[in-house]
Amino acid sequence: MRNLFAMARRIIRQIVRDKRTLALLIIAPLLILTLVWYIFGAKTSEPNLAIIHYESSDYLSAFKTSDYTRMSPLQARQSLADKKIDAYVDLKNPIKVHLEGSDPSRNGLAMSKIQKSMQTIQQLNVTSMKKQLTDVINAQQKGIQAQQQTMKQMSEAMQRYAPSALTSIMQNAPKTEQPNQANAPDKVKLDVSYLHGNDSLNTFDSFGPAMVGIFVFLFIFMIGGVSFLRERTTGTLDRLMASPIKSYQIIWGYMFGFGLFVIVQSFVLTCYIVYVLNIYNIGHLLDVLIIVFILSFSALSLSILLSTFASNELQMFQFIPLVIVPQVFLSGLFPIDTLPSWVRAIGNLMPIHYSTEALRNIMIRGTGFSGWWLDGLILLLFSVVFIVINVLVIRRSRPIAD
Amino acid sequence: MTVSYPIKGDHLHKRFKNQIVLDDVSLTLQEGEIYGLIGPSGAGKTTLVRILLGLEKADSGKVELFEQRPTLNAFRSLGYMAQSDALYNELSAYQNLEFFASIQGMRGKEKKQRIYEVAKAVDLEKDLKKNVSNFSGGMKRRLSLAAALVHRPRLYLLDEPTVGLDPMIRRKLWTLFHYLKGKGATIIVTTHVMDEVAQCDRVGLLSEGKIIAEGAPKTLTEQYGVPSVEDIFITIEKEGAKK
Repeated sequence: MRNLFAMARRIIRQIVRDKRTLALLIIAPLLILTLVWYIFGAKTSEPNLAIIHYESSDYLSAFKTSDYTRMSPLQARQSLADKKIDAYVDLKNPIKVHLEGSDPSRNGLAMSKIQKSMQTIQQLNVTSMKKQLTDVINAQQKGIQAQQQTMKQMSEAMQRYAPSALTSIMQNAPKTEQPNQANAPDKVKLDVSYLHGNDSLNTFDSFGPAMVGIFVFLFIFMIGGVSFLRERTTGTLDRLMASPIKSYQIIWGYMFGFGLFVIVQSFVLTCYIVYVLNIYNIGHLLDVLIIVFILSFSALSLSILLSTFASNELQMFQFIPLVIVPQVFLSGLFPIDTLPSWVRAIGNLMPIHYSTEALRNIMIRGTGFSGWWLDGLILLLFSVVFIVINVLVIRRSRPIAD
Repeated sequence: MTVSYPIKGDHLHKRFKNQIVLDDVSLTLQEGEIYGLIGPSGAGKTTLVRILLGLEKADSGKVELFEQRPTLNAFRSLGYMAQSDALYNELSAYQNLEFFASIQGMRGKEKKQRIYEVAKAVDLEKDLKKNVSNFSGGMKRRLSLAAALVHRPRLYLLDEPTVGLDPMIRRKLWTLFHYLKGKGATIIVTTHVMDEVAQCDRVGLLSEGKIIAEGAPKTLTEQYGVPSVEDIFITIEKEGAKK
């Protein structure tokens, strides 16, 4: 145990004295998360739209001046080419939409806006149809009233000259049914309820849990890996191997030493996104901390393991595109349900995948322990497996039994 | 009087891929001697030291430390200095020595005292508080040696301890080696420098993975009838060519 603490103490001293590493470990993730927060948390800007051939159109009222610039066809085409507008609508029947088209997200924004206007047009159509129908009905009613007037006069004449014929006609006449007042249809309303979260949930709120996992993993991976690699390349590991320290003490010393900074980092980072960036969180802060903490250990133990296969810092960083980037894409940041099964199988081998799932359960879905224990356990298993392999690797390079 | 063998290698073989690095090397050290391992670079000196130390496995043959199979505990009596300085650059000199002393099981006041003692022995007592990253190459070398001395081992394996040092410090270190020897320590040292060879009690000449000659430097030069140990390599090479 004493050797283990001597190891841990040395690592802590090394990091504390190396201000750059310390900053990279604690401040860098905050900076990047803030940046991500601005990017994904920002309100999307309104699309710039225009209309042409509006002068003789009946639908002009559906395209408000505040949303649609009035332009001549030539002007519109020019503006679209200059990317000053995202789309313009040609109101000549049939209505045509011309999109700029190079940015799918802008296309979507423009289309949803235009479709809203189209809905207004349909409403305009319905209203004018209603008016036409009412006119027809009114005309018919007038006709009926005139007929009734004639009939009344006819029956009065008959009463006078042939009362018996009238009674028989009245008896045989089909009974007119008084039409009920037609029920006006209720206005259809959409009532949205959320099982989790609410309508103010933005992209950052749903990306946040994955982002935390990615950055914690990335920074611990880099620093832990390079730190152990240096132990190998500078020869200090040889010196340790030629001392009575046991193999497991070397690895666990690393876990303990880095553990302290991992605790600090997880705490600072979690508090920052929850209290400063105000990410949507209805779960317990402690639950979030535990997951971030366990994830860091899997990152640390994996980086130590991979440093065995690197002979210098550059080779260590070559693992980043191999180990970190696929995790970013398969972490749950993007939906993976439709991917081929082998890709999803790879996703299941990635620690960040589990941390994202667990953090989303905690922060957005608000499930307690029951919602994250399995993911947490899997992350823990990752760490245990990596640590055991690490100890075995060191033990194997030492011909002496310990 | 019983003669004990601090370290013994028996019929050691080692090859990397197709290259034979050690070819049936046997070597026994006597307690209290300075044994010099000399030979051109690539002769397998470092590999031999690493195998004796238990940092690398030999393909066949066996190693004994203090007349038994090496155990972790035996490392307590062993001081190792590698070709690289093997220091933590972020830490101060004192913190480096403190760490290595702790790993060797030293505690408290004894540890502290001993750190100042070895720092003085390598002339670094004024630089203990400095960061190792600010050290010159020579200072790092000396600190590295101090780290190998700190736990008072009985057996030293020093791989090129004086490479890159100026003659003054080199002479000082050799005085230190003789002092350690006087206290009963056994030292095995690899070297390129021929004037250091004369200071060894015995030397082993390693060439292409074989010990081609072994003995006291003086005996060897007389035996081969050459002025210096260096010439023995040339003589033997010539003989080999004749055959």
